[in-house]
Order: sequence, then structure tokens, then C-alpha cells
Amino acid sequence: MNMKGDSDDLMTENGNLTPNWKEPLKSDVPKMSALTDWEGLQKYMHYQRTRIWRSFLAIFYINWIISTVQNLMLDILMMGPLPRHVSFIMDGNRRYAKSLGQPIKYGHESGALTLMKIVTMCKKLGIKTVSVYAFSIENFNRPPDEVNTLTSLLAEKLNYVAERAIDVKSNLYGLRLRVVGERSMISKELNDKITNVERMTDEGEDIVLYICFPYTSRNDIFHAIYDSVEKCKYHALPASSLDVSKISSEMFFDSSSDKCDLVIRTSGRTRLSDFMLWQVHENGIIEFSETLWPDFSFWEFFVIILKWSFFTCLQTKELTGFSLRKNALGFAKQHLWLHRFEPVVLEELPDPPEMVSIIDRS
Amino acid sequence: MDKIQERVLEATIADTDVGQGKQEHIPPPTNSKNNPAKPSLYNMTATAEIAMLKPSGNDAVEAKMKTSSSTWAKSSNKLEYLFYKTLLTILYMIYACVRYAKYQYNRTKIQILNLAYSPSNTPQLIRQDVLKFQKLPKRLATILEFKSEGDVGGGLGGLINDGSELVTWSISAGIKHLTLYDYDGHLKKNVDEFRKGIHHKLSKYYGPSNVPKFAIRIPQWNKVYFNLPGTAPSDPDSKKVALEVSLLSNRDGRETIVDLTKTMADLCVNNEMKLSDITMKLVDSELTQLVGPEPDLLLYFGPSLDLQGFPPWHIRLTEFYWEEDNDQVTYSVFIRGLKSYSTCKINVGK
Repeated sequence: MNMKGDSDDLMTENGNLTPNWKEPLKSDVPKMSALTDWEGLQKYMHYQRTRIWRSFLAIFYINWIISTVQNLMLDILMMGPLPRHVSFIMDGNRRYAKSLGQPIKYGHESGALTLMKIVTMCKKLGIKTVSVYAFSIENFNRPPDEVNTLTSLLAEKLNYVAERAIDVKSNLYGLRLRVVGERSMISKELNDKITNVERMTDEGEDIVLYICFPYTSRNDIFHAIYDSVEKCKYHALPASSLDVSKISSEMFFDSSSDKCDLVIRTSGRTRLSDFMLWQVHENGIIEFSETLWPDFSFWEFFVIILKWSFFTCLQTKELTGFSLRKNALGFAKQHLWLHRFEPVVLEELPDPPEMVSIIDRS
Repeated sequence: MDKIQERVLEATIADTDVGQGKQEHIPPPTNSKNNPAKPSLYNMTATAEIAMLKPSGNDAVEAKMKTSSSTWAKSSNKLEYLFYKTLLTILYMIYACVRYAKYQYNRTKIQILNLAYSPSNTPQLIRQDVLKFQKLPKRLATILEFKSEGDVGGGLGGLINDGSELVTWSISAGIKHLTLYDYDGHLKKNVDEFRKGIHHKLSKYYGPSNVPKFAIRIPQWNKVYFNLPGTAPSDPDSKKVALEVSLLSNRDGRETIVDLTKTMADLCVNNEMKLSDITMKLVDSELTQLVGPEPDLLLYFGPSLDLQGFPPWHIRLTEFYWEEDNDQVTYSVFIRGLKSYSTCKINVGK
């Protein structure tokens, strides 16, 4: 598959958030199966849905209308409170490829496209930090073929994103790219490339994209512990001064290491799989979605953010006790009626009438 | 490396304060004190107020509002701002209506499930339910909540009741390890009452003459208790337990990791330990010793998942189960959690 051509066509040059699929699906596509075979039927339905949706989007006006509506929705949503740190566990690329009868590489590529779409959304909304679980340390257990595919895909995409991030005309301009994790486990060649790309986008201030490659949360915590101890030993940091925030600051996500507001995991598994343990266990929200990652749509993400922002409004109200009625009344009292409570001196009051007792008279 | 463990334990044992009072737990937005997903007009007006009056979360919007120079641009900007804010409020209202409809649906579902699954104090029924599953979690963990005294099932009594019910169900299901987590450590602090509560509940299920034996471990203070308070521990049979319960609180989470770091830093500075001795394996084994092993399944009985500071090292591959909009510790959630675990597939990395 021609990777380069693909991405140029697909990406979102003119504020368009829906990828425009030019290339039809080929190779062995799922066939209509017997009605009794539920799984086969599901697979077939998924394939048909994807195919029809893509040909629908290929019509120019439809695409334009949809992206205009989407941009309007984002304009509305960014008026409310927003999470600062959102992270994604991008699960389901392989199942997606399998259900369309494509090679696994195809799934990962579609996943990368979905990621670009979501990051563009986040940037437009004004979310400051996005982190994604691209590759776990445990993923080295996968067949070497796939590991190589993933690694080369990362290298390709990094360049691609970095070019957009420094291009003023692109809607990814202002993005800062960081690749975090156990970097000693990847080849020197790739490491150099990553460092280079990171340097290219260092100026970006609008949004930071952390790509966790190869990463596990336990490894992150362990590193933080190790580095803290090292600081105590060689940099004369007193051991008694260590606390939660000091250890958090040693972690990979810079200032966002302490908390992640929202973790989204796709494709139905209800566990964290060694990601964001430290960041989400206090009071983060974890959203589990049944959708496979490449199918993760604008609207699904939109609803998740809308939900977050709705409940955050409610919580703000509860925590601050802010009330319109009270505020308005207080404002009116202070400014409209000049009614102020002044201290009263007893002696200044007029004298009471003469005291007469009935009992004393008799 | 027993030295590390001893030193960390010194710190944690000395800390009789189990987390309460240090800092109030701020729940995630979806889990505020009064269930925010519960339909109420007040919630809707409150959201509308905040949506209209609080400034936007987006920096670009704020910047635009400030920089416009001419009066005309300013007022048109304000108008635009107001327009979008109104649309946002409308969007919230639509969302609220949908959510409230879903709440009603979920509640009805839970009511029906509660009718369908009822253990009615019979261990045989629970075992029968469990026998249908292909696998059970080896270690089960649950997060319990201390509800305010006025509520139904609230206060310490309610918490102990919930805890002892879970203990009874776990014993009946045949699970060997149960971890009970509550943020403020109320169960830890009232361990004697809790033991009585468990005994009472168990004798209801199994009859007072042959109550199953249990052990309660409090990792923070490195203590183990067997059965009822006051029973003779010399009896060798009393240590053959059907279930081991461990009680955790917020103190066992991040703070224990900090304590471990401090201790290792101390040892390293005094050259009692080399920096290269600190490995992932060591940290893992120390934390397993200090807090306990990682649970396989974590049940939460609140309306939407909130980990409440459950020890972060210990939720690596743990399956989560909760029932949306549920707010009680019920058998139906327990058994459905076990059911979902029995069908889950775990493939580490592959």
C-alpha cells in the first residue's frame, strides 16, 4: 500500500476532520455468511457499513457539510470546561483489520489516521495534553514482523506529524511531540530520529502529544522511584523531603504526570493494561468504549467530552457553591438599596417612657 | 531485603492516621456526593448557570475576547460569545435529558436483576451460581464507600454490613482472597466490630455451630486477626481459614510508594544498599509484601467507575466491573462481576 499517497489524501488540510478515503478496500473481503453464524455475520455487517460509509463520504458536498457541522460543534463545546490531560489506549487495530479481511498493517495504519483526527479535534478544542499508548513493553512479545511494522510506522508518522507541526498553514501547527517510555529498548537509529523530531517541534505551545513507546506505567513509577533515590544520593536531596509531588515530577509526562482527567480505552476491555495507573487512580474518569480504535468516531469522542464537561459544570457548582440567585440578590442589595447595617449605640436612642409598676401602687 | 520492609513498616505503623482528615477526597465529576446522574431539575439549572457564567476553558477564546480593539468588534465578539454559550447550554440540556432517560432504564434493569439474583442466606445457591462459570478470580478486590449516617445503609454500621456480606458471598463462592478498600480506612479502625459483623453474618448463612474461619490482615500495621475477638488463638485449627480478608485504605496507595522511596534513599545514602540493587523486581516484591498481591477483579458498587486512590501499583491488569447507576452493594452486581470475569480474555501484550 502506498503509504505516502494515502496520508496526503487523507489528512485534514482545510479544517476537514473526516478522512477522505480514496482507496477502496481490496483483497479478500468477508463474504455473506449463513444466518446462523453470528460472528461471521457481524464481520460482514461491519465490512458493509464501512464500505457504504466511505462511498458516502466520497461525495464532495456530503464531506463538506459534515465537516462544517463538526467544526460548529467543536466551536460550541470549547466554550465549556475542558479536561487538561486526555489519554487513549488505542486497542482494536488488529481486530479491525481482520474483520475487513485486510493485513494487520492496514489496521495499524487506519489507527494512526484516527489518532491524527482525534488529536486535531483536541487541538481545536484547546485540550493541552494528549497522551497515547502506542506500544507497551509487553508488546515485544508479539511476532517480530508486527513489531517491525509498528516501529517503522512510528518512524514514518513521526516525520509526517512533525512536518505539519511546524507548517503554519496546517491545522496541527503548534503541536509539540514527545516520545516517552523505556527508550533504551529501541534501536539507536530510531532513537536519533525521535530526538531529532522532538527538537523540531520543541517550539510548539498549543498542545503536547505524548506518544508512549515502549511504555508501561509500572516502569514509569519505577523510574520515578529510582531517579528520586539517585537524586538523594548524588545531588544531596534530603530523603525526608520526598513526597508525592516530588515523585510525580520525576515521571515522563512533565507537569501532567500527576493527573490525567480522562482515559479512553476502546474495543471493550475493562482494564488499564499497565497504563496511567498513577495518573488516573485518584480521581480520573475512565471511559471504556466498545468501538474498535479505527472506528472511533468524531461523535463518540464528542459525546465523551460533552459528558465530561456537563458533569464538571455540576461539580464546579457543588464545590464552589456558586449561585446565580444569591449572587444577583447580593449584587442588588449592595448596589441598588443603600442598606447597610451600622452599629447602634444604646445611649443614643431616645429615652423610654416613664416606668410605672402596678404592684407597687397597692 | 528485609531491612527495607522493616523500615517502611516502621513508618506506616507509626502513622495511625489512616488518611482521614489529611485531605478530603475529591471524586471525579461523575461521582459527586449527590449522584449527579440522578434526574433533577436542580442539576439542570445548576449546569445552565455555570455554563453561562463561567469563562470558557479554551485559551484562544479568552484571548480573542481580550484583544479586539474597536468597540464595534468588542460588542460583536460579545454577541458571538453569548450565542455560543447559549448553544452550549442547549447542548447540555439535551445531554441531560438523554442521560436521565438512560438512568431510568439502568435503574429498572438493576431492580429486575436484583429480583432475579437473590442469595436469600443460602450458600448452596451461591455455589450453584458460581459453578456455571469457567473460571473464578483468585483474588477479588472491592471498593466500599462510607455513606453519610443519615442514608439508608449509611454510617459505620452500613459499611460493616456491606463488608461482611461480601465476605460471606466470597466464602460461599469459594474465593480465597478478598481485599476490601475504603478511602478513609473505617474498617481498619474498627476491626473488632467488623469481625463481629462478619461472624454474625456467617452464622446467619451457615448456622451458629459451624461458622467458617476467616483471617483479617491489615497490611499497614502488619497485623493479622483470626475469627472473633476473644477466641483462643492457640487452637491450631483456627488458622486454617476459608478466606483471607485484607483491609486497605488510601494510606496504602501513593504514600506507601513514597515511604518505600524514602527508605531506599536513606539506605543508599548511608551506603547500606547499592543504587543498582533497586530493580523493578525488588520494587514489585516489596510492594507486594507491604500492600498485598495484585487482585484479578475489582468490583465497584458506585454509579460510575471511580478508583478512589486504590493502590496504583496493584491495578496493572486488574479487570474492573461496575454497574452503571447502581449505588448499593448487592449480590446481583457481585455475581455479574464474577460472570464477566469468567468470560474475559487476557493476553499480556499479545
